[in-house]
Amino acid sequence: MRLALAIASFVVLIVHGVVFYDQFFYRWERQQTAYFDQARSLTKNEQERAELDARKPRIEQFIVTSFGDTRVDRCGTCHIAADDPRFQNHAQPLRTHSYSAALGDTLRNGHWERRHKFSDFGCTVCHDGQGRGLENKYSHGEDTYWPEPLLGYVTQANWRTEFKPHLLGVEYMEANCAQCHTGDNFAGTPNANRGRKLFFAMNCYGCHRIDGLSEGTLAPDLTEAGKKFRVDYLWESIVDPRANLATSFMPKFNLTDDEVKALVIFLKSRHGMNFAETSLDRYRATHVSETKPETVTTKNAVLTSRMEAGKGEQLVSEHACTACHKLGARDGGIAPDLSFEGLLKDDDWLVEHFRSPRSRIPDSIMPAFRFPDEEFHAMAGYLAGLRTPPRITAPNETFQTLCARCHGQKGDGQGVTALYLDPAPRDLTKAAFMNSKPNERFVHSIEGGVPGTSMPAWGKVLNEQQASGVLEYVRATFVHEPQRPLKAHKVPETNPVAASSSSAAHGEQLFLQRCAGCHGRKADGKGPNSLDIVPRPRNLRNSAFVNALPDQRMFDSILYGVQGTAMPAWIDYGLSQNDVGDLINFIRSVNPKSTGSQYASR
Amino acid sequence: MSDTTKQSGVWTAVKELPGNVWSSIFRNPLPSSDLERASTSFTNFFLHIHPVKVHKNTLRPIYTMGLGLISFFLFLILVVTGVLLMFYYVPATTQAYDRMLDLRGSVAFGIFLRNMHRWSAHGMVAVVFLHLCRVFFTGAYKRPREFNWVLGVLMLLVTLFLSFTGYLLPWDQLAFWAITVGTSIAGYAPLVGQQIKFLLLGDTTVGQEALLRFYVLHVAVLPSTLVLLIAVHFWRIRKDGGLSRPEKTGTEALTMRSEPAPNVAVSVTAVPVAKKRLYGLQGFVRGPFTKIGNVPDDSVFSWPNLLIAELFVFVMTVAIILCVSLLFNAPLEEPVNVMHPPNPAKAPWYFLGLQEMVSYSAFWGGVGIPGLFVALLLGVPYFDRNPKGVGRWFARERLLANTIFLTLVLVNVIFIVIGTFFRGPNWSFVSPW
Repeated sequence: MRLALAIASFVVLIVHGVVFYDQFFYRWERQQTAYFDQARSLTKNEQERAELDARKPRIEQFIVTSFGDTRVDRCGTCHIAADDPRFQNHAQPLRTHSYSAALGDTLRNGHWERRHKFSDFGCTVCHDGQGRGLENKYSHGEDTYWPEPLLGYVTQANWRTEFKPHLLGVEYMEANCAQCHTGDNFAGTPNANRGRKLFFAMNCYGCHRIDGLSEGTLAPDLTEAGKKFRVDYLWESIVDPRANLATSFMPKFNLTDDEVKALVIFLKSRHGMNFAETSLDRYRATHVSETKPETVTTKNAVLTSRMEAGKGEQLVSEHACTACHKLGARDGGIAPDLSFEGLLKDDDWLVEHFRSPRSRIPDSIMPAFRFPDEEFHAMAGYLAGLRTPPRITAPNETFQTLCARCHGQKGDGQGVTALYLDPAPRDLTKAAFMNSKPNERFVHSIEGGVPGTSMPAWGKVLNEQQASGVLEYVRATFVHEPQRPLKAHKVPETNPVAASSSSAAHGEQLFLQRCAGCHGRKADGKGPNSLDIVPRPRNLRNSAFVNALPDQRMFDSILYGVQGTAMPAWIDYGLSQNDVGDLINFIRSVNPKSTGSQYASR
Repeated sequence: MSDTTKQSGVWTAVKELPGNVWSSIFRNPLPSSDLERASTSFTNFFLHIHPVKVHKNTLRPIYTMGLGLISFFLFLILVVTGVLLMFYYVPATTQAYDRMLDLRGSVAFGIFLRNMHRWSAHGMVAVVFLHLCRVFFTGAYKRPREFNWVLGVLMLLVTLFLSFTGYLLPWDQLAFWAITVGTSIAGYAPLVGQQIKFLLLGDTTVGQEALLRFYVLHVAVLPSTLVLLIAVHFWRIRKDGGLSRPEKTGTEALTMRSEPAPNVAVSVTAVPVAKKRLYGLQGFVRGPFTKIGNVPDDSVFSWPNLLIAELFVFVMTVAIILCVSLLFNAPLEEPVNVMHPPNPAKAPWYFLGLQEMVSYSAFWGGVGIPGLFVALLLGVPYFDRNPKGVGRWFARERLLANTIFLTLVLVNVIFIVIGTFFRGPNWSFVSPW
């Protein structure tokens, strides 16, 4: 035991030695000493030398209270030469902090005077990082737990590797300049300015809210996005919207890396707070003048198109509809093609759709913009005037021009807009479905459209012959199984069960028992199984769709299923015709006939 | 004449100063005879906690592994480092995290102090539990030591509570959500659960009130309670006759060899005492070890054997804690973000077994079964009245008790392991590989 005691005591001694060494020879001390030595060699007179000799290494800190919570910035401990102009070509950390007119510094008698003095601003309000840290890993925010790493200089270990190179660069600091310099066209923040313009030009404003800038309600509020999130999260949210929420319907906009960077810098500058404002400014802003949020109609003209000014046309351009839609020379690649909208929709439909997209297409992701009614009418009028049909001759051209945008180049329902349409465009390669319906049904869908969905009525663009031609083309090219004669199902033409409340109640009971697993308890197609099924279960509260559906078709779909989808033939599972009649009464009872209301389908 | 005598008097006093100071403090010489060894227990304030003689079995490392001592020394380390940390820490939600950053980054030895405190705390919870297991497996809770066992169980609970209250103080994401989980489990108690939770938190959610309460509990209330319990616990050890040992069935019952055991520093020779000498106070004190110079039994003098054993355990404990603190940093995660619970949010490791059970049933897992365990622990010495099997590890006579206890311990450990490594987001089962 005595030997073990001796060894343990020795270990204690050694550990004490190591700890003392570790805690007494800090890196910052060595750097300060190096600075003193080099400054001494640069001194010009005795007095300076004496002052330097008298200096001992110590922690240098600035305590700054004007920017929200008290900041204690100790960056000057290592970066001790930051204000010493003689160290401009030295290696970091002993390098002078740059002076430049762009930073507001002035050159007077050969000496630079700093506009943003460290004693007033500290360091972290511009650079982020951890002010209290005295080791690189902590002070630069490299440790993954620090929410504010050095902007543009540091990436953290858990960031995605493909993003890291994009997230470095001193321009990221503009996000912090913009905390105070909030002007639209401030020269020092070109990226933030561009980001702000893109925020409107790419129609982010439609879904996202930023206090003072936009009123979108469909998407998370970005007023404090810069305060809450790091730049890698912001980047990821833009280029991979479903990375953190698989059910997000944010489109993946077609942006270049530069544009994404500008947007990220703009969003990072959103702290919900302008530090340059005094409380009196804020009071005036909220109480004295009734400043409405900057309406989008004013100054945010972004498109470079030189279209002639019809008011509606100008509005469509200003409101950045082509961030998603296709119109004229620009194509957002996310929403339907509006180039000949006048042939597909009428004025009333367009105005109603503007006022509330979901009143016409219940699962649309298009935001309900809050423009004044006159603007809606002007834009609808303009769109209704687009009546030039596309020049198409052969069926394959027809398909490419009109159908492929949604149904995909390969007819598989994976067109560029497919992700963003609900119901999704039909997969035309599904032979089981395509071969289970008569041709007339398809031609009818093409000519008359499918109400409540994004399938337009092509009747004014294609005549029946052309529609049949396209159908044949589709069958020949995409459906890889030959058609066979269809067996007729015995289904009634109209619902034999009278529409009564007891019938609907029984139908509801059946629905909850049998149908809700896929179609959801609210019959909106969002049942627990729905995420695993393609195509998704039908939203049975889509009044426009359901009201246009004849009873016969509903009987057919329920009793005999829909081939090529997950809808089973319920006749095999014991549902009688009367049961189905009750079900149909229930479904119709939750789809009221009125067509004008905004809330028709919800 | 008076001058010179006075001067020589002063000069002598100065020369003799060191000796005089020393002998005013240490009135007795270092022991060199048995009588002097014996009297150390009476002549020194700190040493009077020791009995004059201890049984050899007490000093066997394999018997106790020094676990009780390790717990105590860890507690001392915790108190010392804790007080030092108190000079820098502020229990305010706006300042606590920044203070932790300062402790980590700018206070001299701050990071080391914090590491020592954290690892000693985890160590103490683990060692206290192992000590409980040791006492159970050696049957050392039986008569007359039942109440000491009860005190021990109470100290286990206080230790857990101390660790829990301290866990919140860094005020980072780890701390905040662990305590949210822990107090929510407490809230599942029937009838009084919500009130207990409110009492703990001072509010309905974890916030400034909870931080302040936990701080006061952690630095004042619980340590003083624990000190009191430790004092009574040590008192009872003495009064119950020292540590448990196997019954004497001749010398074969003990695993003592004929020559003095290697941990005995001084060989004991029994010398019959002249009958005419009476050792005053000793005659009045009842108990097994106030016999000086008796027939050889299996006891040895506390000075220096017990003292060396304790010193050894102390230095080992300190050495291990120092090494661990040097190598591993205590975690400090992001500052508290009330809007952003981690998924999964996990309680501290010693409560993960509970959390795992809670995921099956809130009441039974969080309150019912743990309550049952504590009640069983408290009651075991009063139900198990069989006096056999004391003083030996895994005695045959105690097979049933040992098996049940070991099973429950292993189940708890398995739950903790599952909760730590095998549970991911939404408490789903994930593979750690």
